[in-house]
Amino acid sequence: MAPLVEAREVHKSYWLGEKEIHVLRGASFSLAAGEMASLVGPSGVGKSTFLHVIGTLDPPTRGSVLFDDRDAFAMTEEELAAFRNRSIGFVFQFHYLLPEFTALQNTSMPGLINRQPREQAEAQAKEMLEIVGLEHRLEHKPGELSGGEQQRVALARALVLKPRLLLADEPTGNLDEATGEGIHQLLVELNQRLGIAAIVVTHNPRLAERMPRRLRLTEGMVVEV
Amino acid sequence: MKLHWRPSPRAEGRGAVGRKAARPAVVSAAALALFLLGAGLQYSLAVWLGAYTTLSRDAVNGISFAMEGVWFLLAGFVLSFLGRGYRPLENLIASAVFGAVTFFVLRALKPPSFSYDRFFASTGELVVWSLAAAAASWLLAMWGASFGMLIGANGHVDPRVRYEWGIARTHLRLNRHSALLLALLGVLPPGLFYALGIAASFRDPHQRPLVHPLHILFMVAVVLASLTVIGKWIQHRAQIARLQPGQRRKRPATVVMTGISVAGVAVGVWALTVVLSVMSGFESDLKRKILGTNSHALLLKYSADFSEWRSVIPKVAAVPGVAGVSPFILNEVILSHGQTVTGAELKGIDPATAGAVSELPRQVIAGELGWLSKPQDIPGTDRVVEPRGEAAKQLGGPEYEQYLEDTLKRRQAHPEESQKLDPEALRNLPGICIGKEMSHQLRAWVGDVVNVLTPLGEMTPTGPVPRSRPFRVACILYSGMYEYDSKFVYIGIPEAQRFFKMGENIVGLELKFADVDAARALGRRVVAALGGFPYRTKDWAELNRNLFSALKLEKLAMAIILTFIVLVACFNILSTLIMLVLEKTKEISILKSMGARDASVMKIFVVEGLTIGAIGTAMGLLLGLASCSFIEKFGLQLDPDVYYISNLPVNVDGAQFVMVAAISLALSYLATLYPATKASRLSPVDGLREE
Ligand SMILES: Nc1ncnc2c1ncn2[C@@H]1O[C@H](COP(=O)(O)OP(=O)(O)O)[C@@H](O)[C@H]1O
Ligand SMILES: [Mg+2]
Repeated sequence: MAPLVEAREVHKSYWLGEKEIHVLRGASFSLAAGEMASLVGPSGVGKSTFLHVIGTLDPPTRGSVLFDDRDAFAMTEEELAAFRNRSIGFVFQFHYLLPEFTALQNTSMPGLINRQPREQAEAQAKEMLEIVGLEHRLEHKPGELSGGEQQRVALARALVLKPRLLLADEPTGNLDEATGEGIHQLLVELNQRLGIAAIVVTHNPRLAERMPRRLRLTEGMVVEV
Repeated sequence: MKLHWRPSPRAEGRGAVGRKAARPAVVSAAALALFLLGAGLQYSLAVWLGAYTTLSRDAVNGISFAMEGVWFLLAGFVLSFLGRGYRPLENLIASAVFGAVTFFVLRALKPPSFSYDRFFASTGELVVWSLAAAAASWLLAMWGASFGMLIGANGHVDPRVRYEWGIARTHLRLNRHSALLLALLGVLPPGLFYALGIAASFRDPHQRPLVHPLHILFMVAVVLASLTVIGKWIQHRAQIARLQPGQRRKRPATVVMTGISVAGVAVGVWALTVVLSVMSGFESDLKRKILGTNSHALLLKYSADFSEWRSVIPKVAAVPGVAGVSPFILNEVILSHGQTVTGAELKGIDPATAGAVSELPRQVIAGELGWLSKPQDIPGTDRVVEPRGEAAKQLGGPEYEQYLEDTLKRRQAHPEESQKLDPEALRNLPGICIGKEMSHQLRAWVGDVVNVLTPLGEMTPTGPVPRSRPFRVACILYSGMYEYDSKFVYIGIPEAQRFFKMGENIVGLELKFADVDAARALGRRVVAALGGFPYRTKDWAELNRNLFSALKLEKLAMAIILTFIVLVACFNILSTLIMLVLEKTKEISILKSMGARDASVMKIFVVEGLTIGAIGTAMGLLLGLASCSFIEKFGLQLDPDVYYISNLPVNVDGAQFVMVAAISLALSYLATLYPATKASRLSPVDGLREE
């Protein structure tokens, strides 16, 4: 059976003037549907870059990313957008919620982008907010939520359309130990409950330990730990 | 759950999938074909309208070129789907070829020159026109393409703006609170103007106030004071909000800039509507005065022999659209009274039918127009005929009383003026009507005898000798046009025929139509009904071409200058949106990571700019309407010696307001395109790096 997502010899370089920064140097890996993996590595090694390439936000300099054996970057901008909307969920270190909207409105956004009727998008959002344990915070704006709650809303927003792949970039990086623990617990739980494959970047070795599969990014390559 | 895939036939790069983008040559060829078709459409439409409707030439040009513009917009729209993008280069190539083709077609067509419509346009002029055609076609096509891009020309079509509008609203901080505030700001100043105008209309109409600078200062103070109070109130509300934690939100610079943009558009639209309304007030006042004295058209003949006019009149009157016919004779003469001499246009008219083609009978302020044909009824010089009617009241005042008094005194001091002739001959002198200004100039009132001298006199062996005849003033006319009141004098047709030795001939017929603006076309119809040559017509616009084209040019210049205010306001919108795009880079990235399309991001910013433009335009229109009503009701006084019109005229023309609104919205839309396109092309990772 083909893996859900596969990276083949992915290279990614940035240019600062004449100087080439070779961040990814032939990173390859694959992830099966429903599988969960942690990704660790020192700061600046290119973990975020790797997630962006996997998540079709940034095209690689060389190499290819395949979903279900199909080249993701052969799609047009429109198709990529629709694909991201339905099949990939992102969580970042910062929650990036829209400050003027309530938790419910923020969580409905992917559904609205998918042109679902508002009622349907909000029903789904409510359901997902209940799953992350925020049914009592629906009408709160991000400014009125704690850091952990904000990140839970971000998680609910990433998962509201039930994507097949969740990409989390240091989701607990800004949270205290206990709260981060809770978010991780939730991630593992959701992976088991919804069968969503996930790659979680983390700096916390204890949390990384608990993942079924552990990856490390060194010298622009992905290695199994 | 299934992944949403579409099969990709091409593996390399971000190629097109599904609907393929056409090749550059195909896009250029299609663009050129559409452009040429549009030009052909304009030409045939103009020809057809000219031949089958009674529209004026300006209207024909306006309609046909507007249709061509719309066609080009549509062409750009279609091309954006064909080329899956703006395709500026391909459009530019097509526009350049189109410009070249335009040049050769125009040279073959020999169109009239822009400035002198009796001559063919010069090559230089044709080059300018062709360049304009090329530039316009490119701009309009790009403009049309932007619509295509907005609704998804490069992918699947999706004109919805639901969540985009929601996000745009948060960028503009447009909530119930600020909407209420905007509504207040939009309604209060115009309401004040309107109320002031209403209050002014209750005053005694005879006591005309001069606008004092203090009044204006007071009004500005009131507006500023009310704005300050509102501002304080908002501040107070904000303070309350600040006391509650979590409610606190800082106001970024873009909110202030948004406010400035709205105000800029409002001021531009305000100025544009008020000035255009005043100018069109002057224009319609002029038109009213010209058409008060003159008919809508003259029926003339390419021959001095027009003795059959009595049989022509019923034929002309039977043409549909003709509302009145009256014969006339026109010649230049010299008028003298006592020591004073002045040149004049002597017009022979038929007092019975003159009223059917002009306002002449209603312009009489002293005496009777009918006395032209019954000079025996003209009172003698032993009394002064009092002025009458509305016009006379307007003239009233001590100055005029003085003039009448002086007239009586002058007559008593110089009785010889009228006593040169015996009373019986005096009573049988033919009557003449003169304008108010001429009456002043000659110091002649109703009953006075004036001498009319024509240079076309008897032929003698030593050359022509001028011939003169005495007339008695039968009435004084006031048209409101200095030109007419100081130049035109009127006598009866039979007197004029005898005086100029014309036999049974007249110069022509004056015509009045049911629809003034169709004068040219109806004139052609009249000539056709008479069998064409040697008859011809000249309509009022032709007769007063210089005046009206000067006025039109002035209005156009004014409109262009004031459109620059709106343009500057739209640059405000542009910079506000650029700031917003920079401020919201993170948000754009996050939306894109959630699957927002490029077109959706573009929509957000287009909707924002249009909202700013629409709010500003609405405020400006309201202010403009209120100001016009204020000017009309309050009656701003003008210096009568300069303008020959007592109050600043305004003419609120709905079409003009709609036009201003359309221009303002179109410019606002244009201003959004650059920032919106920039925003839509941001890479999703651009905003995810910082913090
Ligand atoms: N847009 C960019 N331009 C230049 N260099 C970049 C850019 N984005 C990332 N980098 C560089 O790439 C390297 C990897 O960055 P990143 O993927 O954010 O690392 P990590 O997430 O592992 O901390 C860093 O050295 C960073 O400076
Ligand atoms: Mg990182």
